[in-house]
This record gives sequence, structure tokens and C-alpha cells, in this order.
Amino acid sequence: MTFIRALAGACAAALASLGAFVAPVEAQTYPTRSITMIVPFAAGGPTDVVARIVTSHMAQTLGQSIIIENVVGAGGTTATTRAARAANDGYTLITGHMGTHAASVPLYPKLAYHPEKDFEPIALLAGTPILILARKDFPPKDLKEFVTYVKANAEKVNAAHAGVGSVSHVSCELLHSILDIKPVGVPFNGTGPAMNALVAGQVDYMCDQIVNAVPQINAGTIKAYAIATPERNPSLPNVPTTAEAGLPKFQAQAWNAIFAPKGTSPAIVASLNAAAVKALDDETVRKRLLELGSVIPSPAERTPESLAALVKGEIAKWTPVLKPAT
Amino acid sequence: MDIFANLAHGFAVAFSPINLLMCLIGALVGTLVGVLPGIGTIATVAMLLPITFGLPPVGALIMLAGIYYGAQYGGSTTSILVNIPGEATSVVTAIDGHQMAKQGRAGPALAIAAIGSFFAGCVATVLIAILGAPLTKLALAFGPAEYFSLMVLGLIFAVVLAKGSVLKAIAMIVFGLLLSMVGSDIETGASRMAFNIPELADGLGFATVAMGVFGFAEIIRNLDHGAEMNRDLVQQKITGLMPTKKDLLDSTPPILRGTVLGSILGILPGGGAVIASFAAYTLEKKLAKNPSRFGRGAIEGVAGPESANNAAAQTSFIPLLTLGIPPNAVMALMVGAMTIHGIVPGPQVMQKQPDLVWGMIASMWIGNLMLIIINLPLVGIWVRLLRVPYRLMFPSIVIFCAIGIYSVNNAPVDVILAGVFGLVGYWLIKHDFEPAPLLLGMVLGPLMEENLRRALLISRGDWSVFVTRPLSAVLLAVAASLLILTVLPALRAKRDEVFTESEN
Amino acid sequence: MADTMGHSATATRNTKVALGFCLLAIAPQIFELIWSIGTIFGWGTGRGPAAVVTSHATALLADAPSAIFGSFGGGTKKMSSEVLLALIYSYPLFAVAILTLFMTIRSAQDYVGGVVLMALALFALWAGSDLQGMRGFSFGAGTAPRMFGGLLVALSAGIALTGLLTDGPPMAHYSWRGPLFVVAAILFFALSIRSLGLVVTAFSSFMIAATGSHETRWLEAVIVGACLTVGCAILFPYVLGLPMPMYPRFLNQ
Repeated sequence: MTFIRALAGACAAALASLGAFVAPVEAQTYPTRSITMIVPFAAGGPTDVVARIVTSHMAQTLGQSIIIENVVGAGGTTATTRAARAANDGYTLITGHMGTHAASVPLYPKLAYHPEKDFEPIALLAGTPILILARKDFPPKDLKEFVTYVKANAEKVNAAHAGVGSVSHVSCELLHSILDIKPVGVPFNGTGPAMNALVAGQVDYMCDQIVNAVPQINAGTIKAYAIATPERNPSLPNVPTTAEAGLPKFQAQAWNAIFAPKGTSPAIVASLNAAAVKALDDETVRKRLLELGSVIPSPAERTPESLAALVKGEIAKWTPVLKPAT
Repeated sequence: MDIFANLAHGFAVAFSPINLLMCLIGALVGTLVGVLPGIGTIATVAMLLPITFGLPPVGALIMLAGIYYGAQYGGSTTSILVNIPGEATSVVTAIDGHQMAKQGRAGPALAIAAIGSFFAGCVATVLIAILGAPLTKLALAFGPAEYFSLMVLGLIFAVVLAKGSVLKAIAMIVFGLLLSMVGSDIETGASRMAFNIPELADGLGFATVAMGVFGFAEIIRNLDHGAEMNRDLVQQKITGLMPTKKDLLDSTPPILRGTVLGSILGILPGGGAVIASFAAYTLEKKLAKNPSRFGRGAIEGVAGPESANNAAAQTSFIPLLTLGIPPNAVMALMVGAMTIHGIVPGPQVMQKQPDLVWGMIASMWIGNLMLIIINLPLVGIWVRLLRVPYRLMFPSIVIFCAIGIYSVNNAPVDVILAGVFGLVGYWLIKHDFEPAPLLLGMVLGPLMEENLRRALLISRGDWSVFVTRPLSAVLLAVAASLLILTVLPALRAKRDEVFTESEN
Repeated sequence: MADTMGHSATATRNTKVALGFCLLAIAPQIFELIWSIGTIFGWGTGRGPAAVVTSHATALLADAPSAIFGSFGGGTKKMSSEVLLALIYSYPLFAVAILTLFMTIRSAQDYVGGVVLMALALFALWAGSDLQGMRGFSFGAGTAPRMFGGLLVALSAGIALTGLLTDGPPMAHYSWRGPLFVVAAILFFALSIRSLGLVVTAFSSFMIAATGSHETRWLEAVIVGACLTVGCAILFPYVLGLPMPMYPRFLNQ
């Protein structure tokens, strides 16, 4: 048995090395012109910034420019639909995120694509931790008090979010389903206005990505109860994790990953993945992503297979949470 | 004296050769973008964002800011010359500005727009430097209820600026509000009146409708039989390029008032700048000895709103610089530019990044100076453009508009929709409906609905919040009195009109 | 305004106006029918023309009247969108058309303007009829559209009323050449920019638009059109970096 397993392992290794040998050859031939990277959100947003940081390095590796095309609309699904229908020649890619490639499945019953069936996963780029934030004079002092307070006052509290399908909306829905409450959700048109309302004290709390929140927390205009990742974040060392603060079930990250249309050849997928992995190992890329508060995936998490597993897992995670909401 | 030290520091930063160059590029690109119909500031800043990757952050932001306020200068040009407002803020300018152009006074209109913008820009820049921090409180004092009341007030402004029937103006606003409902509902995500057309999922674009009801409709109307005579007349009538002494005297008070209004309203995120230009126009019309001149080429109707929208464009930086919260889409892009450089703006950005903040404030003053130097000589070229025979001009405008609309989303459907709105606009002209209130309704509609719903969600369905919150109550009271002031004379005028017509 | 119509011809004009309104009342149905003809050739998706005609005809003639009478009996079964279109949009306009026959129109500009605007408002009410209304204290997706749609119906009725009560200008003169060719140029641009590229599209659209004016001198138009095309080709894709194809797709391959 061990012999067979060793043989299989050797074969796999040989195939892998063959693949590794083939990939650079393909890479020389494959990007013969510039690649279009669709970003399903406005330029300057968290997804866009991550995509630009990583693709600018990938372009150097691939020897062709990567043009970012921001296609906004319908929570990113407009762009994702376009990417799903694009030619699978490796010249149209998309930087998807948790919303477009997982939460959209239960949120939009008439979705024109399926994240698993219509895309080839390439690589996970970064995870953005989600925080539980509240206005600065919200009574609860820590997460435990927050949970009891919100449960006791579910009729009175207001949760802000940045629009249906946004990260802040779906992650708060997860929190609410864990706490088994249904407080009033106040929709805003984007994170900026929602944060404005939180700073002004017009709403009580919200769940949001770390990027926009760090300077506000440091300045004391809002407070953070917990970060929904397994580890604390270096940019907010004083904010406990949800596990530490007593709500281990609430785990959420907004992740960004590159996808290609279904049927893109394995060689192209491999060369794109290699370029992305190389970018994630680059010092300046890492530094910039860390400055944003992002979590950089470990080498094991960067393969197309692990991304496929992530997408599968995320769809399974969000479907029960979001199905009754719509 | 801290402020002087800070400003001195800012000027030291802004006067470095690279930053001066960035400022100039920003001003030039902004002017170009403002002049080209359809191509908006948001799209341009988004396109130029990647370029700023390689620039130092201060230079990058100076350039992006330059594009933003530069487009305010450029936007008035097409409004005045060809009646096509490129931005929501220049819709009002088109009303009297284009009438002035038709009377051969395009030169003075363009020049006054530039001078007003320059003055307003300078004052607003000083205001940001001195009062930025305290004014932030205003932005935070505005909750959903206050915004809703502000939007109601804004819509009343649109009624006042109508030159014809009040009833028709209100109908046009409501029509605009209905058009703004097309697309996804913000609260539930449900698709509304979109007929399963994917391009409609996010609603009708401002550029699409504005190009249609203003640009294309104007062209179609000008092609009517009998319209040639008027056009030829325009070309013969073109007189002086620069405003006369009387023009300048007439424009001074509106510029001052517009600057004050714009500076205050600009601080409010979302819609502040649009309302500022409408408010300035309304104010001028109400203060004028002879309001009937408005809509027929009154220079005050250009000077006031243009000053207001430029002042608002400057002061809208206040929430960004003091709170770190972007008040509109362009500012959100600038935040993106900052994050790309590793600066995440927040409430402490003024202390932590003095170079950036004060350098940017100083650059705004320099940028405004550059813009007036660029724009005043351009007036001559623009006016000469009016001498191009219309038979060659109109197909060119059609092409420019089509490319502009297409470039917003790269969507051919948008171009078709603009064509449809061109026909709608032609029909509106034929039935004496004014398109300006329609556009304002369309721009303010989503803000109004969202804030109404937000306010009612937070108050749990209690409508009294709009009158129990003092700021909101004041705004509603102003709106109500303004409406009464407008409707009463209009009813009287309607009677007079009936009398005069039956006498004929 | 060219005052071509006198007040004497009111009676014959009213019939014309009423007929126009009747046509307007079934305009969406006709539009869908024209649209459906495309499905014969395999363009687009949707029902075939036969299905469109039968469903709308039964809705207009049978189902909608029965729905009206049914509602007196308290029946609340869900109505199809065709029936709703007939009830919300077509019937009120037919009613207006009939009323028109008995009215003296003192300002056709206001009266027709008001009624057409009312048609738009009714159409919007129909388009938003599938949306959710109020849920407790929170607005549904359909609340605001219905509110403003209803308001616009009232306002446009008011405008139409002023057209009946006060004297005003008659219908303005519409010309066909300008609108036709300008819209044709816009349509051509929209349909061919993706496949034919900027150069061909811009020049062709320029020439189509130029046809819209009888003042056009052809040689001059060709020269200016060519210059403009070159200018656009430099300005938009290069200077401003807008992503749009330059040349026809078949030349690239």
C-alpha cells in the first residue's frame, strides 16, 4: 500500500513538475496582448485597491499590461455576469469577492451566472477582516454587553449597512442570525454615508470592513467591539477577536480573488496563478496589503483548488443566512 | 496664527514644481472633461486613478482635485454654448446662459461664469482653511430627516426657477422623481420598472437623460422648419467677448450671494452642490426687481449659480479633510487614491498628513488662478465656435454626445436611451414643459426617497420627526413659504395672462 | 408658435385627438407586438407575435372587464400583467378619449400634453404594480413609485384641465426630418460602435445626422465629418484613454 501511495505521489510530483515546466512556456506565448481585469466595483473601493495592487505586480511577471475595467452595478453582479460570458481565452479576468461569488447566490434568485459553474478559480488575493462597530456613545462596553443589549433592545436598535448585498449588509445578517434577532437595518448608499451616520450617532452599530474603520477607531469617533477573524489584526492590536470576546460563531471576512471564465485552459490558469502567488510574496505588495488591514492568504490557500473549496464553503455559509432575508 | 503657519506650509508644498505641474494638468484635464459632453468627472478620475499610482500622493491628489473643480469651470461652457449641461450642477447655468448665447452674448456669459467661479473658489478655499473644522459639525448635524427636508426645499427651488406654469413645473419634477425610481431599490434590492433590461438595473444615468432632453432635443428642435432664421440671427448678433461694466456691476451681488450659499451647502455630503446652484438661482430670481428677465438671458442667472457650484465644489472637500469621509463619488475615488498610497484618511488626517491637507488647500487656490487664466482666453475660441454653420455643428454635437454617453458605462443601450429621451425632450418643448425641473427631480429623487425611508425606519414610522427636529422643521418651513410665495403670484399672473390674451 | 389651427375646426379635431388617445391607450401592446416580430427571426427572447396578440386581446376584451365585475363580488385572485396593463393603463385612457369627444379644447398644447403625461404616469403605475408596498412602518420597494405615479396622474389631469378651461396655444408643429435622421444617427452609433469601431461609426453617424437638415452641403459635410472622425479617434481613445474599439472587428482578425 505504501508503495502504491509513494508511486502515486511520485507520479503526481512528476506531473506537477511537468506542469511547472509547461507553464512558463505557455506564459511566454499566452499573454500576447494586454489582459482586461474586470473589477465589479467603483475605482478606489476596497476590492479595486486590492486588485490594482496585486495586478500591477502580476503584469510585470506576465510581461503584458493588465487593464482594470471598473464595471459597477447591482452589487457587482452586472460585472460578474459580463465576465462569465466573456471569451475564456485568459484575456478577460475578474476580481470577484465574497458578495459576487458567494452571497449573490441566495441574494439574487435570478442571478445570470453561478460562481462555481461559470468560473475557473485562479487565486485568492486577500481577506479583509470585518469588525463590529458602534457609535461612540452606544451603552455597551464590550462584546458580551453588546450581545445582551442588542438582544434586549432588538426592537429599538438600528443597524446601518451600505446597501443590499454589500459586505456590511451580509455580515450583519450573519451576526443577526447567530444572535437570532431581527433589528431594523438602515440602508445607506455605500460605506461612506453609512460611516458618516455612525460617526454622527444617527445609527447604533454596523459591521464593516477594517479599511475604512481603523482611522475612525483610532480617533475615537466610533468604537469597535470585536474583529471577526481567528487572529487579532496588527493594525488594531487592542481589538479582541470574536472568539476572545465570547462570540466565536461570528467569523466573517470579505475576501477578494481572481476568477476566469469557465473553460479557460489549465495552462493559462496555472500561469495566472503563479503570477498571483509571486505577487503575494513580493515585499511591497505585502506591505501595501497589510497597510490596508488585509490578511494575506497562506501558500496553501493560494491554489485554485483551495479557492474552489472556499467558494463552495462560502455559498453554503451564506445561503441559510440570506435566504429568508429576501 | 496657526492657520497662517499652516497655509504658508501648504503654499510651500503646492509651489514645488512637480505639484504646480500636477495642478496644471488637473486644471487642463478638468476643463477638457467639463467641456466634452457626457464624459463626467467620476469617469475621468476613475480612469486617471491608475496613473496616480506612480506619483507622490500629494501630487496625485492635487491633480485629482484639480480635475474635480476644473470640470466645474468647463461644465458651464457647453451649457452656455449648446445648452448641454455636462454635470448636474450646470443644469441651471444652461437656462439663462444659453439664452444669452442666443442673444449673441455668449462671451460675457462665459466670462462671468469664469470670474464668478474664480471668486467663489478663492473665498471657499480660505473658508476651508479657517473654518473647516467647526463646519464639520454641520455635516454631522444632518441626519436622514434633515436631508429629506433639504431635498424638498431643493425641489421647491426647481419650481421657482421655472419660467412658465407652476403646475407644469411641479409635474416635471414628479416625472423626474418617477424616472429616478427606475432601477434597483436600495433597501430591498428589488428591480423597479426596469423591464428586465440589465442596463436599467442601476437606473437611468444623469448623463443619458441630460444629453437627451437638453442636447438631442435642442438639436432636433433647431432642425425644425423656420428655426434657421433664428440661428442665423444669432451668428450675426455676436457682440463683445468680455462683459461690459454694467454686466460686472449687475453680477457682483449675485457672485457674492452665490459664494455664500454654495460654501454652506457644499459641506453637506450628497446633493449639496446641486442644490447650491438651484438655490442661488432661486435667490437671484426672488431678489430681482424684474424676475421675468430670468430664463430670458439674465446675467445674474449665470453669475449666481456658477459661483455657488464652484464654492460648493471647494467646500465639499471639508468632510473629506476633517472627517475622512468622502461626501460624493469623486471624493470616494480620491480616498481610493490615498489608500493606494497607504494613507487612509480619517479624522486625524489634518494632524497626521499636514503636507497633504494644507498642500491640497493651497493648491486649490493656485488651481483656481490657473483655471481663470486658461478659461478667459478660451472664451474667444468658444465664441468663434458658434460661428460654425449649424449644418456642420449639429452632426458634430450628435457624435460628441453619443461618444460621451457611450463612454460612461461602455453601454450602447445608454446611447439608445439618450436618443429616446431626445424625442421625449422634443415633445416636452412642443408642449411647453421645461426640462430643468425634470433633471433636478431625477437627481434629487433617489436622495429624497432614501432619506425619507431612512428617517422613517429610524423613527419607526413616526412622520413627526420631520417637524420635531429643529433643523428639518426650519428647512420645511422655508420650503413651504417659498412655495406659497411662488404659487400666489403665479396664480395672479395666470389670470393676467388670460386677460391680456382675451384682449388681443 | 405658428398659429395654423383656428378654433372653428374643433369638432373634427376632437375626433382626431380622441383617436390618437385610443392609439396611445394600446401603444405598449403594439410595441410588444412589433418587438415580438423579431422572435420570428430568432432575435431576442420573448413570446411570438401570435401569443402576444391573443394574450393582450383576451386581457383587453374579456379578462379585464370580468376582473372589474369580479371585484364587486369580492374575488381577489391574482391578475396577470396583461390584465393589469389593460386595467391600469388602457382603460383610463380609453375613458379620457371618450370624454375628449364631448369637450371643447381651448388649449390643445396643454390638453394633449397633460393627457400624454398622464399616460406616462399610468404606465409607470403599471410597471411598478408588481412591487411590494408598505410593510408595517417601513416603505416597500413599490411605495414611492406608486406615490409619485399617483401624484403625477393628478398633476397631469390638472394640466389637461387647464387646457380645457383656459385659452392657450394650439398644438405646435412637429417636423419629421430632423428627429428621424438625428435619432437614426444615434441608433446607428449605438448598434455599431461595438462591432464597427469608432472610426466607421462616427463618420457614418455624422453623415446620417447631416441628412437631417436640408441645408447640408454634401462635399462640405464629408470633409468636416472626416476631420471630426480623425479628431475623435485621437481625442477619445488616445488622449482620454477611453476603452473603445477603433476599427471594425473583422479587420482585427
